[in-house]
Amino acid sequence: MNCTEVLDALALYLYGELPPRAEEEVEAHLHGCPACRDALDAQQRLHHAFDRARAVPRPDLVAECRGELFRRTAARPGWRQRLARAWDLTRVRWVLRPAGALALVAVGFLSARLPLRDSGLLRAPAEPPVATVRWVEPDPSGGVRIALDETRRRVIRGSLEDRLIEKLLLEAARDQANAGLRVESIDLLKDRSGNDDVRQALLQAATHDRNPGVRLKALEGLKGMASHPEVRAALPGILERDDNENVRILAIDMLVQNRDEQIVGLLQGLVGQEENSYVRMRVRSVLEEMKASVGTF
Amino acid sequence: MAQEAAAVIPARLAPRVDEHELIRAVQRGDQNAFEALVRSYDQNVLGMAFNLLRCEEDARDVYQEAFLRVYRHIHSFRFDCSFHTWLYRIVTNLCLDCLRKRKIRKEEPAVVETAEGPLDRTYSVEEERAAADPERNLCNAQLAGRIHLALAALTPRERTVFELRHYQGLRLKAIGEMLNTSEEAAKNCLFRATQKMRTVLGDFS
Ligand SMILES: [Zn+2]
Repeated sequence: MNCTEVLDALALYLYGELPPRAEEEVEAHLHGCPACRDALDAQQRLHHAFDRARAVPRPDLVAECRGELFRRTAARPGWRQRLARAWDLTRVRWVLRPAGALALVAVGFLSARLPLRDSGLLRAPAEPPVATVRWVEPDPSGGVRIALDETRRRVIRGSLEDRLIEKLLLEAARDQANAGLRVESIDLLKDRSGNDDVRQALLQAATHDRNPGVRLKALEGLKGMASHPEVRAALPGILERDDNENVRILAIDMLVQNRDEQIVGLLQGLVGQEENSYVRMRVRSVLEEMKASVGTF
Repeated sequence: MAQEAAAVIPARLAPRVDEHELIRAVQRGDQNAFEALVRSYDQNVLGMAFNLLRCEEDARDVYQEAFLRVYRHIHSFRFDCSFHTWLYRIVTNLCLDCLRKRKIRKEEPAVVETAEGPLDRTYSVEEERAAADPERNLCNAQLAGRIHLALAALTPRERTVFELRHYQGLRLKAIGEMLNTSEEAAKNCLFRATQKMRTVLGDFS
């Protein structure tokens, strides 16, 4: 190798990318040629200069990029995962969130994860996101890094016939943190109690919801289904245990829609134990209408 | 409180979950696994895109598009190459596309107009570190500007090969595979790149 050939080979030599034989030749030449050794030094300094000229993004850029990416991927995973995850997370949220700590309604929460784009629902402009802290860690630069899960609230519109709308309402009807949301959701669902899922949700609310307004609304929703076996089976329990007289009165009205022998005993028992005079009066008048003896046990 | 802290720390120090397992979890649709996978690579991906493109907006775009492609196509990843290779192939080609588009539009973001001109924030941490010695400040700033010009003189392909070899430390063989070309072609590309930069940087010594 002469000097020109060696100078051409220096760059690849420094990167260790010369074939072994060429590498040996370069080294042999360098050994005996001070001018080429100087050129090698210069090339090495250039490499260091390249290293120092490396452009480094500002430290918080990666966190911003992550935030945007995770928001985008969490907002549109595959359809099946989306649904599964939506329900799972909602359940987790019930457990973790103290009641009323975060005014994040189930509809808003789920809408970020459900395939609204595919469902043909109209979307209004998004509201600012609600953030939940996922993890925190010290930053090498001495600061702190915090990962936020941001939930963007969105208003969606659609018919009650829409399966997705119904699912969202059913979920909202179980949102333990927000009784107002449960009442509104049940009010919207109450004309659809012929649907099995809706009826189950209404029954669940009527018998177990801790808010009397919600129980009453749910029971109203079941009025049209008073003769359905599941509804009928639930009424005696409501009459015995519900501490709200309006709920009990409504339950009586629903019970007597189908006047059969079985309810007489139940009503007669109620006359004896019902503490609310209006409810007692109501029970008596029903029994009289049924021509049953008030005092018979 | 103390118990909570103790429970957290070992989890953070625990050895990294086997990457195959992590990728399989992502393929099953586990969002947490996806986020963990992203976290283990994204700093390097962003660093490479930013150094190569020297433009925050373009680097952001490459970051998003690269990981969205991973997200969309992870189910077709068959472990016949390393995930690192797969990811860097995506990133490299996105950067190359970006450089090519820029060349067509004759755009050159964050251009340092003269070697003496003020440097924008593109040259941040490394420069500041190098500039700790005040006597070398001006010299380093000038040098960085000249290197930026030298890098800008390269074709998108030469620039990309130089990035992968010099800054990412990949072998030319791997670079050839990443760019769907031969090791020899990658070598010629690197050779042309260094020749050109020597010309632009002139009497640097
Ligand atoms: Zn020589």
